[in-house]
Amino acid sequence: MSVATTNDTMPAPAASPSAKKARRTPAPQSSFAPWKDPNATPIVRFENVTKRFGSFVAVNNISLDIYEREFFALLGPSGCGKTTLLRMLAGFEKPTEGRIIVNGKDVTDLMPYERDAVNMMFQSYALFPHMSVERNIGFGLRQEGMPAADIDARVDEAMGMLELKQFAKRKPHQLSGGQQQRVALARAIAKKPRIMLLDEPLGALDKRLRQTAQFELMHIQESTGTTFIIVTHDQEEAMTVSSRIAVMDHGELVQVSTPGEIYETPQSQYVASFIGDVNILECRVSNVLPDGQLELNWVDGTGKFVAQPPPSGATKDQQVWLALRPEKVRIGLDRPATDVNAIPGKVENIGYLGSISHYHVAVGNDESVTALRANASLAVDNTINWENDVWLDWPADAGVVLIR
Amino acid sequence: MRRWIVIGIPYFWLLVLFLIPFLIVFKISLSDTASAMPPYTPVLDFANLRAFFAGLDFENYGFIFSDPLYTNAYWASLKIAFISTLLTLIIAYPVAYGMARAPKQWQPLLVMFVILPFWTSFLIRVYAWIGILKKEGLLNLFLSNFGIDPLTIHNTVYAVYIGIVYSYLPFMILPLYASLEKLNPALLEAAQDLGSPPWKTFWQVTFPLSIPGVMAGCFLVFIPAMGEFVIPDLLGGSDTLMIGKTLWSEFFSNRDWPLASAVAVILLFMLVIPIVLFQRNQQNQREAAR
Amino acid sequence: MKGRMTWFNVTSVALGFAFLYIPILLLVIYSFNDSKLVTVWGGWSTRWYAGLLNNEELMKAAWVTLRVAVVSSTIATVLGLLAAIVLTRMNRFPGRTLFSGMVFAPLVMPEVITGLSLLLLFVAVGFDRGFWTLTLAHTTLTMCFAAVVIQARLYDFDKSVEEAAMDLGASPLKSFMQVTLPIIAPSVISAWLLAFTLSLDDFVIASFTTGPGATTLPMKIYSQVRLGVTPEINAISTLMIGVVALGVIVAALSQKRAMVRQQAETRAVDAGAK
Repeated sequence: MSVATTNDTMPAPAASPSAKKARRTPAPQSSFAPWKDPNATPIVRFENVTKRFGSFVAVNNISLDIYEREFFALLGPSGCGKTTLLRMLAGFEKPTEGRIIVNGKDVTDLMPYERDAVNMMFQSYALFPHMSVERNIGFGLRQEGMPAADIDARVDEAMGMLELKQFAKRKPHQLSGGQQQRVALARAIAKKPRIMLLDEPLGALDKRLRQTAQFELMHIQESTGTTFIIVTHDQEEAMTVSSRIAVMDHGELVQVSTPGEIYETPQSQYVASFIGDVNILECRVSNVLPDGQLELNWVDGTGKFVAQPPPSGATKDQQVWLALRPEKVRIGLDRPATDVNAIPGKVENIGYLGSISHYHVAVGNDESVTALRANASLAVDNTINWENDVWLDWPADAGVVLIR
Repeated sequence: MRRWIVIGIPYFWLLVLFLIPFLIVFKISLSDTASAMPPYTPVLDFANLRAFFAGLDFENYGFIFSDPLYTNAYWASLKIAFISTLLTLIIAYPVAYGMARAPKQWQPLLVMFVILPFWTSFLIRVYAWIGILKKEGLLNLFLSNFGIDPLTIHNTVYAVYIGIVYSYLPFMILPLYASLEKLNPALLEAAQDLGSPPWKTFWQVTFPLSIPGVMAGCFLVFIPAMGEFVIPDLLGGSDTLMIGKTLWSEFFSNRDWPLASAVAVILLFMLVIPIVLFQRNQQNQREAAR
Repeated sequence: MKGRMTWFNVTSVALGFAFLYIPILLLVIYSFNDSKLVTVWGGWSTRWYAGLLNNEELMKAAWVTLRVAVVSSTIATVLGLLAAIVLTRMNRFPGRTLFSGMVFAPLVMPEVITGLSLLLLFVAVGFDRGFWTLTLAHTTLTMCFAAVVIQARLYDFDKSVEEAAMDLGASPLKSFMQVTLPIIAPSVISAWLLAFTLSLDDFVIASFTTGPGATTLPMKIYSQVRLGVTPEINAISTLMIGVVALGVIVAALSQKRAMVRQQAETRAVDAGAK
């Protein structure tokens, strides 16, 4: 059993994705899900794409479909191959094996400047330092040989969309970081690509600015109807902006799902611990109940758990891991009515965050579980303190059984 | 295709005008003098290659190694280049160190002032020292105010040291400054915080971290100083033998091209190791910067 | 590194700069000396400068030197730019080590060796020595300096700027001309200036590779210097130093003006935005 704490800056993992989703689109989430439609044709298709640099495998046999109007996030730690995947789509790297199909056309062998359906926003922004904002934004249009009047109109439109008009004559170094970021976005958007690629687009901004910029990105994505593919290592950012997330590790896709599914039903310990905080309890299946639920024996302590089986099912005596989000674990001083899904422990540490508190509880054989509790009332009667003996319990549908 | 044009043009240029000439020097060093134009024999003749190769021998090398005039000149060049490099390092280090500690906004100006003399003619800078160092020159004029007897510096080896140090000082200051400027002052504070006094901090932290700059500077001074001609010729007088001067007079005065070529080939062999080390040092620094 | 300067630091910088500049200053001052004897101050005069202009041979040598410098530094900058691109952008091709060796070795190679080897090449292929052999020799030497200056800039060039240009539809050649070249232009200009002054300055290689018709100014100066210190040489030297100093001052001022203009632009834009 282990407690994975991947992101301390995220005070309420449960609340953030769903709450921000709700603010985002008035229409219900389920209405837009082309990946569930067997007749939908993807706008981007990676077919068994592998990229090797010498003996290093950056991307390993990835097949992936991305659909029109999606806001698709490639998420993973640095070096997981997400940027290489994006750069292959832009044309800066050539796949060692496999094909890339954009809009029904095989673009595998096309140079970056021949791929007009795709434009990229760079992590460093890559603004041309010797050109003014408007010349930067018009650069791509001039390459097409567009008439000057049309270029001006398009540049104006892009500057309007990103509130850059007052900076039109400035050089990049005369702009703040946030303004530079908007110019980089406007420059790519002005080309009206079918697909926008964003490589860590907000990585250089501070946290407050980043949140504003995230909503701006979402707004532009929706109003232009462009497909956005974003590379990020920030799980919160991926959860906030995207319609689907592909979690990557060591050049492979670990899971491709909506943010909600990724958080609620991760398919591996890696995904569960990469997104939000999670407690992982190593267990063995002791029984498969008639209703399909699994009865589990805890390996690192005494405890009997009942949980929903994984989609692939599980057999008796199989080694599994029970993933529990801290906010789904109830903590109390009194012993619960049932022994199932309940374990005793001692409070080791309390992290007070204002609205909520984290309780780190020692359980079983030198293991630890984190529980969250909202500080809803000022009442002192049920205060839990350091060194208190406590009980942890959770409902049968709170945990997710992972087989790897 | 375009890639091969970009590579090919400078590559071809350097092959023809830098590498092949060395092969020719080597070939001529194996030839004999002749009173013809060109003044050496045999001349490459594709119709009669056998006779051509038969005419080549190592006679000139044997001559150089048996005549103390040449061996002394090589030794003197080594000694003078080594001592002047050391002197340049000792003078340049405090200057570069002071520049690196100067306020940030002053530093570009200071660097420019180090480079500026480099833009003025080398010959003129050496010439300026003749006026200062000669017997009735400005230095002795100045010293006579204090009742000091005139010094004899011009036309001695000391004038050569001064000339080399002066001319090559910017080549030493700039790489030293570049490596000292990168040094994080927090490292020095950390060393002092851990109980190291300033002098020890210098030898334990500052100097080791500046070694790439020291190496680059020393090579930039030592290698060209070895073959220096103008400075020993104008400042050193007839007593100072340096190999660059020997080569020059073999070529221009004695018109013995094969012997001059042999002198050059031996000098080149002496410099191969420092040149390779210099390049490796530059490469390491470039990779470290990435 | 920066920090507080100690007295030791200030003194060593001051002494170092004094050592670098006093000889040059003395030379300049004594070029205005009315007396023919260097050590005797005979009052201010510009008579040596007037004499220079009437020295036809000297003027001819100066003209040759200038022409060689302009032609060789221009070719050298183009070749140096190509060499710098090869060094920084092309990682794998046969003979890469040899190539970088050939670029860096001339920087430290004693001039007598370079000069001799080039001369022997010209003799071997039967070129008449003169303006063009000298120009070829200077081009070869100075292209290596130009390459080093430009490659230093290309090394810390953000490659994603070039990628952005290509992503926006510019071909590699176009993105080089429209994006890379304008950005690295200052280094290309300094490479040209460096090549130009190296060529103006060179005496040793010129002595080997030039012919009777194309004597350069440094060669003329050298032959006079050997005869002793004279106020005329001080005067030529001062003129040459003056030209360089003027160039540096103009360059520094224009840079400063560009900066001031940029700041003014920012203010104007800000005012317009309100």
